[in-house]
Amino acid sequence: MVALPAVAAPRASDDARGTVTHCPYCALQCAMSLTPTAGADASAGPPAPGTDPVPPLTVQGRDFPTNRGGLCQKGWTSASVLRTGDRLTTPWVRVRGELRPATWDDALDLVAGKLRALAAEHGPQSVAVFGGGGLTNEKAYALGKFARTVLRTPNIDYNGRFCMASAAAGANRTLGVDRGLPFPLEDVGGAQAVLLLGSNLAETMPPSLQHLAGVRAAGGLVVVDPRRSATAELTADGQGLHVQPVPGTDLVVLLALAHVVLAEGLADTAYLERRTTGLDDLRRCVAAWWPERAEQVSGVPATTLRAVARLLAAASPSRGGAGAYVLTGRGVEQSSQGTATVTAAIDVALLLGLPGRTGSGYGAITGQGNGQGGREHGQKADQLPGYRSIEDDAARAHVAAVWGVDPADLPRSGLPAVELLRRLGTPGGPRALLVHGSNVVVSAPDADRLRERIAALELLVVCDVVPSETALLADVILPVTQWAEEEGTMTSLEGRVIRRRKAIEPPPGVRSELDVLADLAARLGSTVHFGTDPAEVFDELARASAGGRADYSGLSHARLDAEPDLFWPCPATPAGTNPHPGTKRLFTRDFPTPDGRARLVPVDHVGPADDLRPGAPLYLITGRVLAHYQSGAQTRRVPALVRTSPGPYVEVHPLLAERLGVEDGTPVHLETARGGLVARTRVTDAVRADTVFMPFHWSGQGSVNRLTNDATDPVSGMPEFKVCAVQVTRWDGPWDGFEPVDAGLEPVAAGVRGDGGAHAPGTAGA
Amino acid sequence: MSSSSGTTRVVVVGHGMVGSRFADDLHARDAERRFHVTVLGAEEYEPYNRVLLSEVVAGKLDVASLSLPRSVRERTSVLPGTSAVAIDRAEQVVVDSAGCTYPYDVVVLATGARARVPELEGLGSPDDEAALPAGVHALRTLDDAREIVAATVNARTAVVVGAGVLGLEVACGLAHRGLDVTVVHGGPSLMDRQLDGDAGAVVTGELGRLGIGVRLAARTQEVLVRGGRLEGVRLEGGERLDADLLVLTAGTVPEVGLAQRAGLDVARGVVVGPDLAAPADPRVFAIGDCAEPPEGGTGLIAQGWDQARRLALLLTGQRDEPADADPDAAPGPVGAPLPQGGTDVVRVKAVGLDVVSMGVSGTRRGTDAGHRSVRLTDPVGGRHVEVVVADGRVVGATCVGAGQVAADLVAAYTRATPAPSDPAQLLLRPVGGAPEPAASPTLMPDRTTVCRCNGVTKGEIVACWRHGADTVEDVARETRATTGCGGCTDVVCGLLDWLGTTDPDRARAREPRRAVGDVLGEVEEPARARG
Repeated sequence: MVALPAVAAPRASDDARGTVTHCPYCALQCAMSLTPTAGADASAGPPAPGTDPVPPLTVQGRDFPTNRGGLCQKGWTSASVLRTGDRLTTPWVRVRGELRPATWDDALDLVAGKLRALAAEHGPQSVAVFGGGGLTNEKAYALGKFARTVLRTPNIDYNGRFCMASAAAGANRTLGVDRGLPFPLEDVGGAQAVLLLGSNLAETMPPSLQHLAGVRAAGGLVVVDPRRSATAELTADGQGLHVQPVPGTDLVVLLALAHVVLAEGLADTAYLERRTTGLDDLRRCVAAWWPERAEQVSGVPATTLRAVARLLAAASPSRGGAGAYVLTGRGVEQSSQGTATVTAAIDVALLLGLPGRTGSGYGAITGQGNGQGGREHGQKADQLPGYRSIEDDAARAHVAAVWGVDPADLPRSGLPAVELLRRLGTPGGPRALLVHGSNVVVSAPDADRLRERIAALELLVVCDVVPSETALLADVILPVTQWAEEEGTMTSLEGRVIRRRKAIEPPPGVRSELDVLADLAARLGSTVHFGTDPAEVFDELARASAGGRADYSGLSHARLDAEPDLFWPCPATPAGTNPHPGTKRLFTRDFPTPDGRARLVPVDHVGPADDLRPGAPLYLITGRVLAHYQSGAQTRRVPALVRTSPGPYVEVHPLLAERLGVEDGTPVHLETARGGLVARTRVTDAVRADTVFMPFHWSGQGSVNRLTNDATDPVSGMPEFKVCAVQVTRWDGPWDGFEPVDAGLEPVAAGVRGDGGAHAPGTAGA
Repeated sequence: MSSSSGTTRVVVVGHGMVGSRFADDLHARDAERRFHVTVLGAEEYEPYNRVLLSEVVAGKLDVASLSLPRSVRERTSVLPGTSAVAIDRAEQVVVDSAGCTYPYDVVVLATGARARVPELEGLGSPDDEAALPAGVHALRTLDDAREIVAATVNARTAVVVGAGVLGLEVACGLAHRGLDVTVVHGGPSLMDRQLDGDAGAVVTGELGRLGIGVRLAARTQEVLVRGGRLEGVRLEGGERLDADLLVLTAGTVPEVGLAQRAGLDVARGVVVGPDLAAPADPRVFAIGDCAEPPEGGTGLIAQGWDQARRLALLLTGQRDEPADADPDAAPGPVGAPLPQGGTDVVRVKAVGLDVVSMGVSGTRRGTDAGHRSVRLTDPVGGRHVEVVVADGRVVGATCVGAGQVAADLVAAYTRATPAPSDPAQLLLRPVGGAPEPAASPTLMPDRTTVCRCNGVTKGEIVACWRHGADTVEDVARETRATTGCGGCTDVVCGLLDWLGTTDPDRARAREPRRAVGDVLGEVEEPARARG
């Protein structure tokens, strides 16, 4: 790979002029600056009636250790979501089955009244909250606090359960802490080998590829993916190896690697002796996974498995290598054995002596923008701020003191996401759901069932910026601020806490979720204080996190403004002493376990919950495309991205296509145990002949999550998005092609208007 | 099958790979904590991975890497060094050699198999492995492997009798250690239980390449022993092969003595039904190498482990689903079905030799008219691939020297995935499409994406050039190409160079610079417009 052009004109930004912030999308959180587009003036105050309410912004990449000035197409075009034609600018309330604009007072009164009635009649657990990994730390924290102190419901979870739960569970039980990358991303640049499992960085966070240049030059990039993804292509021409296992067998590949490392004496025995426990049990467990057996289950030749193990070992420090990393992504984690797979990946890393050595390690590549921070501050069913357990009495007492409540009044663990969604509207299950920063009817597995559950609710409240598919099902939609309209912090995939800054005023009629929660708390008669200034909320979050695993107590907005290089844990220090420098690299001395050692945990392969069977003889796997993010609620509203990637498709191997009698572009019908859909074929030899691939960013007919399996990992509760059995047939029936964006909200000419002089949403499909 | 206390006492006879696996599987599925398991192991060792003994012989594996998970669990007691000598079915007790009794509600025989020692002149009693002369070894136990490894220290020449899977693994392993090895095989070709003559011939060629001699259709007449020490073997016909190490890999014999004495039906192995129970006694089950199920015993560990899993499911009354399956789902039939794909994959694990066989191929190919067989034989290239397809799926295959093709066929065979309409496609890895000619801007179609990060096509970059962009920086400013991961910078440079050479008149023809949106908007985008 070559260096970026020395004079990267588009990113030669003038930081003094623009707003220094980060991209709204993924966990790489590329640094960027936002400047008013020439000819527009952002400081002119509210626009005059009839003029453009949101001034256009120009995005420029900004030099930063993670993205080094690079942005992908999503980042470059991110500002256009601010001006999308169907931006929500007034609350909407369902009246006789139809959504109608409402005032904030009317909408919030309705919500508060209904919540109060439900709690009185059915108990506090009848109200559930569903958060998102895109919320700022401040909003995620406030949401957890609101659920526990105002609603007093245990039932709060978030879409991070679909994202990082298995990585978190795996890391916690082995390394003692879950920070996606326990090292700065730039460290990877010096590695001699990188084993990347189930991650398609080239499409999900393209600028990060700059950090793989070194390992590719060394021929050491090993990509494990059933599909020859854009990332797998990076191994071509001697830059590494692409390992293409049968879907759902990544764990077998890892067990075989561990087997070879032990059998061939490649392990770092001094490290294992000094820094780990559990070697004996692990050795016995992997004894059963010799490469020839693993070959039969995974389809990866034994010679390849041995070659990968030797390549990693040669790169590991104990054998004189320049460093090796084992990195996992959703491809291996979104599985009913996701925690086991992450555990096995960490076992391999520990056998080679990687974690805790600078220039080597294990990491999980976080997906969502604030997937890391979002799982640390209390929107997870079993957690309190600071990555504390809600079942730990000391943690409860500490957090309750910060919140000014009695620890006994804090609820205990609630239902994890998939279980929570399954119970909606069922006897004894939640009757109301508040959704923040998540488009569950597109992003959750077995989405048709979820729609049924949502229909059974008595109240669905959705806070969103656009009429997402989930918002359109709501009883009440509350329009909230987004990204460049608000202040806050995010925690990137490296555990670096970064500042999100406001570049423009939100459109009139839009409120921050911090305001919404404070207002609802007051309407519900709570005496607990809810701040609405993000800096103040952050300070409270920092206090609540003090002493927790993710300790932010030495951080503040002011400090983060001055120092963009702070990683948690960063505890407060006594007055008059130097502030804590943050923790770039974890485990350099010991692991945060009771005995300071990492644990090698034996695991075994079971296989997919919905494996091949007569009538469903092929695997269905899902993933992403570069131009879209998550459920696509934002990116499907950006014309340039829709041009690049207009709709869903199914990747089919030429041999399978020939057998099915289809060609590129032919519609095919996909049927799983949960549902069916029709989508266009894309013939490519990048997939295995026993597997079809479909990206998941679309709704309706093209929504592959209507087919995916909601079976969950027994430890993490993570659903098995990534593999299920499918029948594929040529479709000769009627098919209208793909409808890119849902119909959206119809402007209603009723006399109800938002209290901020809101503009009625325009037509959808901008 | 439970005793009055509500618990079920299970006695497992045999603590090998299958017996120990069964104890673990049962424990894992025993959510109601109903089962109390006693495992009797004749060997003093903890369970170890017998499949890998040939790797130990080859010097590729340390003995310590063989240990399998211990069945040290609640409600499970393992008694190593305890030989069961009798099953009293009337009293429902197992008796060991010391006379101790172990009452059971269910007894599971997992006694495995022992090495078959052929009756050869000079060998002594074939039933007494311990009586073999110095230098002669079978390979079935950890002790056997240790002794062979010890013997290789001084041995120069070795003869391996029996060229099945194990024989070939041992031969290659000994050759890998530097011994001069000859394989003596009674059959017409190597591995003739699985491989036909063509495949066997390719394997013979491969062994030759490894320096291993092969004698086919050769019967060993006599083992030559002097002073209690091996000197060599004499074949029928008179050929004498000198050897200071003789390894007998002539197959195995199921350990059925206990069952026989208990009056159970025994053929080659202990006869069991599809439910793995002895027809004569529903409290007695047999799994692994000692068992003879209706589909026949394969001697493969995959079959034994699958039986262990199925029996654990059967005894716990569970369906064949993962532990966290939806409890509200409609109940299915109790007990696990046999896998729909094949389980009889035979794989030679040997240095320098790659042989895989499965299903109805080679000598196991039937005459079924519905079976379509295609083959590729390439003796000089050391390769032979045969694929048999029926009802649209792979029902058998033989692969010698086939690498990834073999791995693909195993995946297709064991999972019963759809085969291509032309099975010949399975003989080779599909040739990938030609890579996009990044280095050849002339040939690249306009719709080719040059910058993936920003979705910029060659056509857009050409348009950009026509509107005045001269450098990578200009192109980056106008199209954002190169501003993501930077990986396409070389290609953009190449495109600009090409344009500079082929379009020198641009300076006169070129249009005034315009904003990026205008440029992007007017470019035809056939690639993007497609779904």
